[in-house]
Amino acid sequence: MLALMLNSKGLPYSDPIHPIIVHFVIAMVFFSFFCDVVGYFSRNVRFLEVSFWNMLVAAIAIFVAIIVGQLEAGLAQVYPAVQPTLNFHTVMGWSLGAFVAGMTAWRFVIRNRHPQKLPPAYLGVATVLVCLVFLQVYLGSKLFWVYGLHVKPVVEAMQPGISP
Amino acid sequence: MNSQLIEQLRLRLGANGLPYEIPMHPKLVHLTLGLFIIAILFDIAGAIFPIERPIFKFLGLTAIRSSFFDVGWYNLLGAAVVTFFTVGFGFFELLLANPPVNQKSDWGLNASWTMLLHGLGGVVLLGAIVAMTVWRGWQRYHSRQVQWSYLLVGMAMLGLLYVHGTLGGQLGGEFGIHVTAAKLIQEGINPNWLPK
Repeated sequence: MLALMLNSKGLPYSDPIHPIIVHFVIAMVFFSFFCDVVGYFSRNVRFLEVSFWNMLVAAIAIFVAIIVGQLEAGLAQVYPAVQPTLNFHTVMGWSLGAFVAGMTAWRFVIRNRHPQKLPPAYLGVATVLVCLVFLQVYLGSKLFWVYGLHVKPVVEAMQPGISP
Repeated sequence: MNSQLIEQLRLRLGANGLPYEIPMHPKLVHLTLGLFIIAILFDIAGAIFPIERPIFKFLGLTAIRSSFFDVGWYNLLGAAVVTFFTVGFGFFELLLANPPVNQKSDWGLNASWTMLLHGLGGVVLLGAIVAMTVWRGWQRYHSRQVQWSYLLVGMAMLGLLYVHGTLGGQLGGEFGIHVTAAKLIQEGINPNWLPK
């Protein structure tokens, strides 16, 4: 019955929402890191503030992204070649949710105690975070651009009765 | 683009029609849209700051109005710089696109119209983002205030970006442009043979 409500992309709404929500995780995590680096070396507190607010937006957005992502993954035409990438992307997604939330909480404490300074340890861990987000963007891109999840011609070809 | 013209470029194109595995334009779009949208939202939050002050107090979150305007300004500046790359890669990938010609999108447009509107729209929006950055910079260094007219234009821009982004999404999601699996299916190859 549910299948009747899905459109040609296999979704109950016109376009995938997950790739839109992730704008606010990807852009905000990267820009937050960029502002941290600039703020750290220029000793300009203003950049640290910009970084904090960007990180806070990322922390809120990532949970919305995970929930919508799970819904769209559940509705995706997952053929065997896709499964490992989708699993990896899912595990990374939940882990990054915890990671980003933790970093934001840490940032919140730093900002309350010493708003003028950023400990190098934070910058170090943030570097790891940026690398993991890179990897996650690559995995997610692969799902859409290589495997064609929720891409109309691919969804249609995967309909029961039509090969493969 | 004409296949003979593409051949003259002597690029090593993969199954997705690009010389690399993942299209770059959609990746850069995350940065353009994320930075631009959050820039406008933070400027609005700065403009109506007295209304939300009790909320931040309740959350125990120290918030200063001027730092909201800082987010508005620097995020916009970031968006303006990044968007040159977004549009640059966009045109490169648009030229290498090879969409099906007998199909219509959800909006009733064929691939050529969608590509044309998305390409022209990209240039117009790049111009608009740069113009808004100049306008915003002027406000920042002359009056230290963010004008309501600027915020209204910003909100209109969010609407334009939604339309523009949907056109772009349709190029990938409906016409399957630069989607490897879609190309394979078109050629009768099972996408299950793709490397994992």
